[in-house]
Amino acid sequence: MIIANIENVDDFYYDVFISISAASVGFEVNDLISTGLGETYYKHILNSVEEATFLEFLNTSKDILESSHSETQLNIAISENLIAHAGMKELLDKVITLWYLGTWDGFYVTTNAYTQGLAWKVMSAHPPGAKQPGFKSWNVKPV
Amino acid sequence: MKNQETKKKDVIIVGTGIAGALVAKTLSDHVYHLKKKKMVHRASVGEKDSIQEIEILMLEAGLEAGVMLDSARSFETYEEYVQTFYSEEAKVPNSPYPNLRQAPSPDVLDIRQINPPFPDKTGYLVQYGPMPFASDAIRVGGGTTMHWLGTTPRMLPNDFRLKSEYNVAMDWPIEYNTLKPYYEMAENEIGVSGNVDEQEYPGIKNIHRYYGKGYNFPMEKVPQSYMDEKISAGLKGASVKLGNETIPLYFVPSPQGRNSTPNADYDRSGVIAAEKNKDGYQLSFADSNDASFRVEGAVWDPYQGERCEGNASCVPICPVQAKYNALKTLKKAVYKRDSKGYLRKTKSVEIEAQSVVYKLSVSKDNPELITKLHLRRYESEDKTNFEEIVKDTSDSIVVLAANAFENPKILLNSPYTVIENGVEVKRTVANRSDQVGRNLMDHMVMLTWGLFPEPIYSYRGPGSTTNISSFRDGDFRSDFSSWISPLDNWGWSWPAFSPGSDIAEFIGQGMFGKELREALTSRLTRQVLFHFEIEQLPNADNRVTISNEYLDIMGIPRPIVHYDIQEYEKKGMEQAKLVSDQMFEKLGIEDFTSYKSSDNNTFVYNNVRYSFNGAGHIVGTHRMGHDATDSVTNSYCKAWDHQNLYVVGAGSMTTLGTSNPTLTLAALTIRSVESMLNDLDAQFNSEKK
Repeated sequence: MIIANIENVDDFYYDVFISISAASVGFEVNDLISTGLGETYYKHILNSVEEATFLEFLNTSKDILESSHSETQLNIAISENLIAHAGMKELLDKVITLWYLGTWDGFYVTTNAYTQGLAWKVMSAHPPGAKQPGFKSWNVKPV
Repeated sequence: MKNQETKKKDVIIVGTGIAGALVAKTLSDHVYHLKKKKMVHRASVGEKDSIQEIEILMLEAGLEAGVMLDSARSFETYEEYVQTFYSEEAKVPNSPYPNLRQAPSPDVLDIRQINPPFPDKTGYLVQYGPMPFASDAIRVGGGTTMHWLGTTPRMLPNDFRLKSEYNVAMDWPIEYNTLKPYYEMAENEIGVSGNVDEQEYPGIKNIHRYYGKGYNFPMEKVPQSYMDEKISAGLKGASVKLGNETIPLYFVPSPQGRNSTPNADYDRSGVIAAEKNKDGYQLSFADSNDASFRVEGAVWDPYQGERCEGNASCVPICPVQAKYNALKTLKKAVYKRDSKGYLRKTKSVEIEAQSVVYKLSVSKDNPELITKLHLRRYESEDKTNFEEIVKDTSDSIVVLAANAFENPKILLNSPYTVIENGVEVKRTVANRSDQVGRNLMDHMVMLTWGLFPEPIYSYRGPGSTTNISSFRDGDFRSDFSSWISPLDNWGWSWPAFSPGSDIAEFIGQGMFGKELREALTSRLTRQVLFHFEIEQLPNADNRVTISNEYLDIMGIPRPIVHYDIQEYEKKGMEQAKLVSDQMFEKLGIEDFTSYKSSDNNTFVYNNVRYSFNGAGHIVGTHRMGHDATDSVTNSYCKAWDHQNLYVVGAGSMTTLGTSNPTLTLAALTIRSVESMLNDLDAQFNSEKK
């Protein structure tokens, strides 16, 4: 798979982080970039977990992405190299939770993290208290 | 200690929530007309008339920022609330608002199971149980309306006469019809959206007689959610079995204090004016040629929040204030329109915040007269040092409007002695009936949840837009509780902490990527939540007390709560669950309801476990009644035992009924102002002689 080159961020591992995140949460790279929180999350993880653990996660992810040439291969590689590996799965679960809810260990990483959670997108809704869809929008099936 | 010698206050109001704000606003709309020697509405005063203002002081325990009502500061404070709401992981009702050590609030996060005889002391309430009291409230400018949901059904006629109709509890001192005009005024002040024609209640044959012929709500109904429509379509014309009876299901669009579109047919003026007749003052809508409803937007900007925008966060905070909160009424108390129509801050209504009232004193010579009000004023949010302040109330009306925990707490902390038949008798203020603090009630909220066969897209729109009203009244009330069933638009977030719990569950199973996304989509778009608000009857042993053993950081007693539920309510919950099961089956809902022995509020009845939550409907602790032996106040919320004391708020309610209590407490409070005007009339006229 292609490791998407993220503009304005001069860190190859950041590109790996975004690409493996996209594959793990089931969204496109653009969906993640448009939260505006990629770098914040990346830096937050850097500061929250042991450097060696994160580096291992990123190197494994890099290998997974580079060696997979189809979505099926990618899913198998994630299963075998991240999910099946207890330490890596723990980190991956946290990364998935971070993107879906904006929380790390139960706390929002920033105020925006709450409003940018992917959970609200999958339910065709919006974060309560933000991104309000307008009067009567709730009366019809979401577009 | 400091005795404050400032301008004499005619009325001192404790609390700036809806009850206190309504008293302040309604009173301050009136002035004493020196020539006519009576109170008149300020709109009827000519430019050359001599008048005297009613001087009002309001005391608020919360922070000063919370009662700043000018545009810049109220916006700043409110934005802080919204940002706090975003950043709190547990978005419980109190979460956006300051959690003050100096004026603590009961919080749902503090609720624990209780192991009698030891109380749980985790939070502000000292909970003896055996069942923990499950609701919160917030001590902040605007009170708990800051995080109320906004649902505003009126009580039903039979709710006022449970004793005579069903031989349970106690009748109110007033009937539904007595309160009806004040319900209209409350609906005007709150700004209720709804459709009278679509209301349908058991026992009400003619809805137009119940609401009043030709009556319309100020605004058109708030659109019902897509989910509501799917559920009511699935149960169209359906009935359920309740014991031997077959009961048709009524799906009713809920009247609510939330801005929608002004109703062109609404024919009440915005002016609620008192007229003096032979029985005293009576409030009614003033005649007006241009009667129409003026939508109240946000406190900081009347052009924001003119209509609900679908933020779906009504509890705990509406970011645009399209939902009513008491700051709107408070602003109308403090700001009046001048002759040119401009809003001007009035000098006759003052608010002093960070002022925690904790005690009243009576005159030694005349225990019927409240002579002093004691408060502690803390310096700032961070500092707990305080100034001890005593207000002379000998020539003032004192109005306690501090909520159904704080009002009895203050009263019980106000001891005095009287000599009766040569014997010294110890009393506490307003408590000859021994009912102060008793009859604490709440709706017990039983939740049932499951997955609808197809996506219904919950998590959108106001918290609830439809309710099932079929079980609000019936002969069964002699045997078990009635209830109202709102359909909730917020998925499983309340009972199961969705969506977080769903994500944890699925990634726990090793899901990731597209599979995870699809599982979440299927789960989160189909979540339905049914909600049963079970009426609790008054019980003298469910009560608030105080003790010197449990004080807050300011040295003021914390409320001690004794609380339990009875057979009547347990059976009601059992019956409600049976109804829920029938609706689930008819709709093909896959049941995910689970009640656990580890839940905070749980019990086993007929070998089945039930769990419930609080509704935030804290009611009954200073009830109104027929005489000084059965109640704390008369039907005008005036203490039987004192000539210058009113106790207002949901604590006034004799019984709970099945409606959300805010509308009823607002109506009762507006009505109480008539009695206050009578008292003020007598006082002003004796001073002017």
